[in-house]
Amino acid sequence: MSRLLAAIIMMCMLTGCGTEQRILEDLGMIQTASYDLEENNKLRVTINMPVSATDSTIKKMLLTAVTDSSKEARLLFSNQTELTVVSGQVRNTLFGLDLAKAGIHRHVDTLLRDTSMSLGVKVTIINGKAGELLSKNYKQHSETGQYINRMLEKRGSGNGIMPSSLYQFTRDYHDDGIDPIAPIVKDTGEDAEMDGIALFQDDRYMMKIPAKKALIFTLFKRNLKQGEIIIHLENKKNPKDIVMLSNIMSKRKVKVHHLANNRFKVDISASIRGSVLEYTGNKDLVKKEQRHKIEEEISQYISSQGEQMIKDMQKNKVDSLGIGQYVRNSLSYAEWKSLNWRNVYPQVEVNCHAKVLIKNYGKYS
Amino acid sequence: MKQTPDVTLNFQHIFHQFEHCVDLVHRTFPEIHTDILYFPNLISKIAFSSMILEPFANIQLQEVDELFKQSQFVEVFHSKEAVVGVLEGKAAIFNQGKVFLIDIYGPKDRNIEQSGTETVITGPHDSFGESVSTNLSLIRRRLKSSHLKVIEYSVGEVTKSKIYILYIDGLANMNFVKELEHRIKIIEIDAVNEGGVLAQLIEDKPNSIFPQYLRTERPDSAVSKLVDGRIIMLVENSPTAISAPSSFFEFFSSPDDYYQRWTLGTALRLLRFLALLITITFTALYVSVTTYHYEMIPESLLMTLVESRNRVPFPPVYEALLMETMIELLREAGARLPTKIAQTIGIVGGIVIGQAAVQAGLTSNVLIIAVASSAIASFVIPSYVMSASLRLMRFGLIIMAGIWGNLGLIMGVALIIIHISGLTSLGAPYLIPVAPMKGTDWKDIFIRAPFSQLKNRPYQTKSPNQVRQKIRK
Repeated sequence: MSRLLAAIIMMCMLTGCGTEQRILEDLGMIQTASYDLEENNKLRVTINMPVSATDSTIKKMLLTAVTDSSKEARLLFSNQTELTVVSGQVRNTLFGLDLAKAGIHRHVDTLLRDTSMSLGVKVTIINGKAGELLSKNYKQHSETGQYINRMLEKRGSGNGIMPSSLYQFTRDYHDDGIDPIAPIVKDTGEDAEMDGIALFQDDRYMMKIPAKKALIFTLFKRNLKQGEIIIHLENKKNPKDIVMLSNIMSKRKVKVHHLANNRFKVDISASIRGSVLEYTGNKDLVKKEQRHKIEEEISQYISSQGEQMIKDMQKNKVDSLGIGQYVRNSLSYAEWKSLNWRNVYPQVEVNCHAKVLIKNYGKYS
Repeated sequence: MKQTPDVTLNFQHIFHQFEHCVDLVHRTFPEIHTDILYFPNLISKIAFSSMILEPFANIQLQEVDELFKQSQFVEVFHSKEAVVGVLEGKAAIFNQGKVFLIDIYGPKDRNIEQSGTETVITGPHDSFGESVSTNLSLIRRRLKSSHLKVIEYSVGEVTKSKIYILYIDGLANMNFVKELEHRIKIIEIDAVNEGGVLAQLIEDKPNSIFPQYLRTERPDSAVSKLVDGRIIMLVENSPTAISAPSSFFEFFSSPDDYYQRWTLGTALRLLRFLALLITITFTALYVSVTTYHYEMIPESLLMTLVESRNRVPFPPVYEALLMETMIELLREAGARLPTKIAQTIGIVGGIVIGQAAVQAGLTSNVLIIAVASSAIASFVIPSYVMSASLRLMRFGLIIMAGIWGNLGLIMGVALIIIHISGLTSLGAPYLIPVAPMKGTDWKDIFIRAPFSQLKNRPYQTKSPNQVRQKIRK
């Protein structure tokens, strides 16, 4: 009995641990937050919250504030609405391109400090003003914040543009030998569109991989379980030959070779298996030799595109593929520390090797 | 041994004891100077006419002594014995200063019927009734062994109810039998009318919310408990058999698990443990999530929940308590009313109140789903006593979830686990085979392994003969 009493007393003391009541319908739950750079280094924060009206239609509430920091903005939002503005349901954060160029780590870091924020919240770059895009109503689509979020989330499209989470972004930011990436979305008037992959140097936006080439980038960045790509074969006879590879599964391997004078040579190989859904050329896919020929052509195309991409990255000093990690793993800690990777990276000789295997080529041909 | 006759052992004295008992019948056979006392409502008419009327009517005076030497006439030497005998449905025969008792007990009984509380789909459908002799026969006819021992006790200062302790010699641990006998002996109470009363009188911790003895109405289930090495108690005029010692997990198994193939039996077992989880935590989880942890709600469910909560004027905890109370009212009303009206209650309660409460904005429809599914889940649990305990516990958890959110919910569940780990049933651990850990018993607790795997009796019974079977595969 006394033990039961002690337990009850202890539980009553624990009420101090409880947070204040946050009853569902009294909350304004931010769904998407967007950040833009304003003049004088000010921050324009725009949030959208789905709100249920009493006549049971879902509306959205859009609030904007120009402040010095993102949390200050939340205080301002609280003054603008009868709901308690909370951030535990944030799904996506949009950063305008200007802000991305200036560096976003300060803001990402603020988000991470909030314990109610999930590590899975997405980081997305908007090609343009993020707040404007979020305020827009796309007639053909569902509510904008949700529309962007779902567009990024669907994995079926296989265009190689993967959403980037707060966790992935900060991990890559803090890790040695890799730079973070994030998807870019832009407004095209009637719709929003996945524009490509934003590559960062530390937390500053440096360059973009266009959506068309995003899959090739991804092939050399990680293993792929699904993807689709259209390849324009550079054929002398018929320059418009198109191959569409789908159901791509690929495995990536990185090999680091040490050369003299602290120089490195890196081989990135991707072995790709896919099925051909469309082929407009005049080769016969059924015949083994001709099929291998096409495989060869696709491989060359992917390799050369990859190498071109890496050259661009080296020019901008962004190591988004994480080559530095492989180099680091092949060195001792002291060696790596003495190496200024940011400066060494542009001189690294990177070779891409793609090996394509056509699994199947449709029912008739 | 020749006993000295009791001076009060005469017709006048005994007849006087039954003064103002209009249901007592006194018959006289003047030719043979014999008086008979009996309660006609306790005896069998057929036995009375064949064993008393016919022989007494056709007898000469000088043959009477010979007649009473027959074994069915038991001579008694104390008036108290005679009184008790009459009360037990025997006829007391007074002849020339001697008193004999003859057992012609046979009142009207309910037929053997289907069990109302423990039904199975396949398997025997008979269940215990109020007549303890029928109940004993239901067990004896299933268990043809001279090792099945039956001990009789009488409990209740006024009611003098008979209690039978059944166990299988060589399978049951005699320490449990002795402990049980001891506990029954020290009971001093005016009346024991039901097995449920007896179970409470011999419980280890009467203040616990959990039932510590399994009760069953099914003879097949009672027999399987006996064979497990457990002890069965039967109470006169009660259809409830009590099995001891019992473990918490036993309450979640049904004879159906064994009558169906083991894969299905296993699935049913797991389903019941899922039901246990749902019934105690589901509504509480709704309360804690909508009051504190909005972060936990998936995006697609969020607006549905907000919308359904939007018109409700109460905080979730009051809303949940209101609906849970409503469900309990419905259940209780359904249990107390005659079957035909109970159906109406179901319709009125389930459809009218459920639908109207949402439309009136008193509750959210998501809560209705939560409350209804936890109510249904509670009925999945085969033991009514256990399911009632769990339903009661739910209220505590809802309140804790309303005050402390998930923290309170977890603390509530932790408190329950702490409590049941300390419980014992007839001195044996209640949470066995989880605490203390006994891995080999798990295959007959969380799953129902094929019979070839169930080689030993449950560890809890501490049976002297552990081996259940020797199937060679």
